[in-house]
This record gives sequence, structure tokens and C-alpha cells, in this order.
Amino acid sequence: MTEKEQKLIFNRWLEQHKALVFKVVRAYAVTAMDQDDLFQEVTIQVWNSVPAFRQESSVTTWLYRIALNTAIKWMGKERKHHKQEALESAQSVLHMSDHPIDGRLTWLYEEIHKLDEIDRSVTLLLLDGFSYKEMAAILGITESNVGVKINRIKKHLIARSEKINHYGI
Amino acid sequence: MEFDEMKMIWDAQNNKPLYTIDEEGLYKHIVSKKKKARHITNVSELLLIVANLASGVLIAALNFFGEHATPIGYAIAVWMLGTALYVLVSRIRRINQQHQFDRSMMGDLRHAVSDATYQVRLSLLMRWNMLPIAVFTFVGLWNGAKSIWIAIGALIFFGIVYYASRWEHSIYKSRKRELEALQKMLQA
Repeated sequence: MTEKEQKLIFNRWLEQHKALVFKVVRAYAVTAMDQDDLFQEVTIQVWNSVPAFRQESSVTTWLYRIALNTAIKWMGKERKHHKQEALESAQSVLHMSDHPIDGRLTWLYEEIHKLDEIDRSVTLLLLDGFSYKEMAAILGITESNVGVKINRIKKHLIARSEKINHYGI
Repeated sequence: MEFDEMKMIWDAQNNKPLYTIDEEGLYKHIVSKKKKARHITNVSELLLIVANLASGVLIAALNFFGEHATPIGYAIAVWMLGTALYVLVSRIRRINQQHQFDRSMMGDLRHAVSDATYQVRLSLLMRWNMLPIAVFTFVGLWNGAKSIWIAIGALIFFGIVYYASRWEHSIYKSRKRELEALQKMLQA
């Protein structure tokens, strides 16, 4: 595959599926600098993955797998190193858009961010409408295990929202 | 709030992207990163192979062509060449195993844990590998009746290398523990 072809596919993927990458970035990184850093890390992994894509899965599934894997690894100790690099390069490529943000969406992201790394992945896939089978394939665990996690997460999020309603926030 | 409502709120963001991308800046960043994309394992393996091979060949050549050939000199050379060969074989085995992991989060984590285990083993091995080299070096210095200051210098050098390699080993160990914790979390 030539670099020109790779760039063409990469640009098409990013154009069509940028919302997916944005969701992962926002769910795993809080500050603007971290979000920018994680976004760059994810896009580099996506770029590297282009020649390996064999159309055995949909592009969405492929990109979700890469973005989530990158995000959970990014959260580890390497993050410090990446952060330093990001500071050194200091070139921001991600900017907040001017759209007004729904306060309930902000709350949802805050709640997702309180979950552990794995449950965050499951929640994103669940909210984006993936089936148990697809989630099991992306995560590499059994469908029943996915089911257990989903039940736990749903209960937790509903309970959290009730608490907020109760206090009138 | 019911979960269906949360999903509606979630879906609404698809029509209003949260961010805008500086595409030119992103592409420049990818190109610059790509140039230094070699994995840390690759670098440390290649360094070990080249350093041991070069030192082994040099010591053997100095012994063979020099005026003061010693058995210790040959022993160090053989040990270093053996180490280079061992790292090379390990590297080939590691690369061959790379395609055994499935394309899922669990598969990626298993791959990362396998790489981390390899790094932990390699760094531990290299730390202990220093011991026979140090012994050979000191025996060589003793036989050559070198100055005490050279021996002290060598002792300080080996001490620094030992502590640096212990620090490197602890980094790999901690990384492996983190990955294993993630793996357990995913299975829970």
C-alpha cells in the first residue's frame, strides 16, 4: 500500500468516524491537553492499522477496538511520558467546537469517567448500540461476561441519575 | 433517568461533533511520529545484539592479533558472542509469536503482557549477565597487574550499570503488573 492510498483511507475513516474517536477521547481524558494527547495517540494507531485492515470486521468495530485499546494503555504509566512529549511538541490538533453542550451529556461523560478503564469501554460500546456479540468480539470476552458487566453498569448509571434527580441537580 | 434516555442524549452528539481537527497539523504529527515509531523492545534488543557482538568480536580480535592473548580475554569474547546469539534467537521467537493473538481488546492485552513478560525476562537476564562479565574483567585486570585505580573505575562502572539495569527492570515489572491488572478487570 502506498502512503498516498494509506492517507486517503485514513482521511476517509477519520471524516466518517471522527465522532467515535471523540467519544473515546472524552471518556478517557479530562483536560484539553490530555484529550489532545490521547487523540494524537489514537490517530497514530489508526494510521498504522490501515494496511492491516482486511475487512473481516466493519470499520466502526475496527476503529473502536483500536481507540479503546489505545485509551486503556494510554491511561497507564506511559501517560506521563506521552504528556511530556506533548508538552515538548506543544502542537494542539484538537479544538473544542462552538456547539453548545448539553449539560446531561456532560454529566454522562463525568459518570463514565468515574468507571474503571474496562467498564468505560463497555459503556461506550453499549451507548453506541453494539450488540452483545459485537462487544464480546471487540473486548475478547464471552457474551455472558459482557451481559454481567452491562447489567452492573446500567444499574449503576440509573442509580447515579436518580441520586442527581433527588438532589435536584 | 432511564437508560434509553441516556442513549438518546448520547446519540444526539453524533450530529454535533465535540471537537474540530487541525488536519494539516495532525498529518504532520503522524509523519514525524512514524519516523520514530520503532518499539522500545526492538531498540533494546538491537542494542544488546550489536553491543555484545561488537564487543565480543573486538575482544577476540585484540586477543588473536595482539601480543598478550589470555584465556580470560577469549572467555569474555565467547560469553559476549553467546549473549548476542541468545538475544537474537529470543528476538526471532518473539517476532514469530506476534501473530498468535486475536484482534480483540483481550488479545491486545495478552500481546502486551507477553511483550512485557519478555522485557522483564530480558532485563533480568541482562542484569545477571553483567556478573560473569565483571568477574572476567576483574580476573583480567588482576592477571594483567593493572593499576588499582583502573580496578576501582571498573568497579564503579559495573555498580552504576547494575543499579541502572535494576531501575529499568523495575519499570518493566510495574508495566507488566498494570497490564495484568487490566486483564483481570476485563475478565471480572
